Amino acid sequence: MKRGFPVALAVLAVGLALYPLQATGYGVRVMLQLFMWVALAQSWNLISGLTGYVSFGHVVFFGTGAYASSLLIVKLGWAWPLACLGGGVVAAGLAFLIGWPCLRLKGPYFAIATLGLNEVMRVVVSYYEGLTGGGNGLSLPTLDASVEIYYAMGLVAAAVTAVTYVIVTSRFGLRLMTIREDEVAAEAMGIDTHRYKLYAFLLSAAAPGIVGGLSARDQGYIEPLSVFPLIMTITMIVMALFGGKGTIWGPVLGGFVLFAFQEAVWAHFIYLHQLLFGAIIVAVVLLMPRGILGVLQQKYNLPRTI
Amino acid sequence: MAPLLEVRSVVKRFGGVAAVGGVSLALEPGRIYGLIGPNGSGKTTLFNCITGVDRADEGQILFKGRRTDGLKPHQIFHLGVGRTFQVIRVFPELTALENLLVVTTGAYGEAQGRARELLALVKLERLAGEFAGNLSYGQQKLVEFIRVLMTDPELILLDEPAAGVNRTLLNELLEAVRRLRDQGKTVLLVEHDMKVVMGLCETVFVLDHGEKLAEGAPGVIQADERVIEAYFGR
Repeated sequence: MKRGFPVALAVLAVGLALYPLQATGYGVRVMLQLFMWVALAQSWNLISGLTGYVSFGHVVFFGTGAYASSLLIVKLGWAWPLACLGGGVVAAGLAFLIGWPCLRLKGPYFAIATLGLNEVMRVVVSYYEGLTGGGNGLSLPTLDASVEIYYAMGLVAAAVTAVTYVIVTSRFGLRLMTIREDEVAAEAMGIDTHRYKLYAFLLSAAAPGIVGGLSARDQGYIEPLSVFPLIMTITMIVMALFGGKGTIWGPVLGGFVLFAFQEAVWAHFIYLHQLLFGAIIVAVVLLMPRGILGVLQQKYNLPRTI
Repeated sequence: MAPLLEVRSVVKRFGGVAAVGGVSLALEPGRIYGLIGPNGSGKTTLFNCITGVDRADEGQILFKGRRTDGLKPHQIFHLGVGRTFQVIRVFPELTALENLLVVTTGAYGEAQGRARELLALVKLERLAGEFAGNLSYGQQKLVEFIRVLMTDPELILLDEPAAGVNRTLLNELLEAVRRLRDQGKTVLLVEHDMKVVMGLCETVFVLDHGEKLAEGAPGVIQADERVIEAYFGR
């Protein structure tokens, strides 16, 4: 088991790297979306799964990254990989501006503040028509780069998971968890909780920013409603909860299972899909609040690295 | 000798109630002090003011001659003030070992060695990998106690260390406190168990309704009319 896991991971990585060579364009698009969801769920996990501060507007970083990198491409003519990294930087910058005051809020107040932030950003983007195209949206120059974007998206998903691994197995990660466990005790035990929350929030905003840029480049067109939807935040939360929040592989597992489920059901029952998704949320929260890996970890006393 | 900790006329109000109403006290280094008083007399609030969890409304607090009122709890901790809580506050979904490691700042390997030593001291080494939330009440209390010792603080505040701990463990705990004192540490403990207070402390402060009623050696305090009145009424 101990040696089998890294080997299995390596095989999976090689398989995914070779996949576009023989796949259809549709297959590549589906897989890059899977990577996107894994990266998003894992990013949400970094702030909310570890510190317990529920970000209910996490899609704001996706949308901000999408607009920032699209503008860098359209207005400044940056190459898309660079522009997408720029989107990540802008998203992290926004997280800093918002996190500094809002991470002093406790519990539900932080969740509401982040939810509000998403609405504000959507309105701001709609309002500044001259720059963003407002409600008419923003078109990017035509470019077929879905294979390159597939690799970039996969790289981001892998990077966020690697960062999560490093954090969870370090003292830094344990400190983040003490905030979730008992913030007053964490403070009294010498942990500068505000600073640690801010670090986690910055880290959790960067990848959605990059992913937002990649997604915008892939779609070729963005509008406020398509990049700031509340349902995206909910989806990433459900994926992380389903797999196991606060664990390393939970968001990966949750992202994979729920995305596969969504694709399978979506194709056959367009209306039933939403209903089933809602039912899954209720079932997970009621029956398995720790998620699949959380339950297994608790039951078999597994190490955090699983 | 200059006092290690000086509390000067500290007032802390909650709404209209002065939980602590102008308390002054000074702690000399290398001694064990007790803080007693009826429920609601302000003991825990005074602890919270000293450790920065609550901010004093009036008065000053000096640790090693330096003002600490107004500092954040984590800053006061790093100056060398450690504490336990009246209601257990271990991190339940961290293991016993992780509960100890998380408060350290030095080399990780060294910290692990010290954590194992301390776990062995309270006979919990076999439960190092267990989630703290799965331990018994007494065991959690011990984890909280040794967590304070991880960073070697000069002043240790213990809020009811004896409550809920069995006799055998309690004796070891008290022995550990005496050893700390012998190493030059200063201990201030809130305790309702008079046997513990009288057997361990060299000086006892009595609080009543947020004010300091008496201060002195345990024997003197026990015989003090006002103290008896505060505890038992007339």
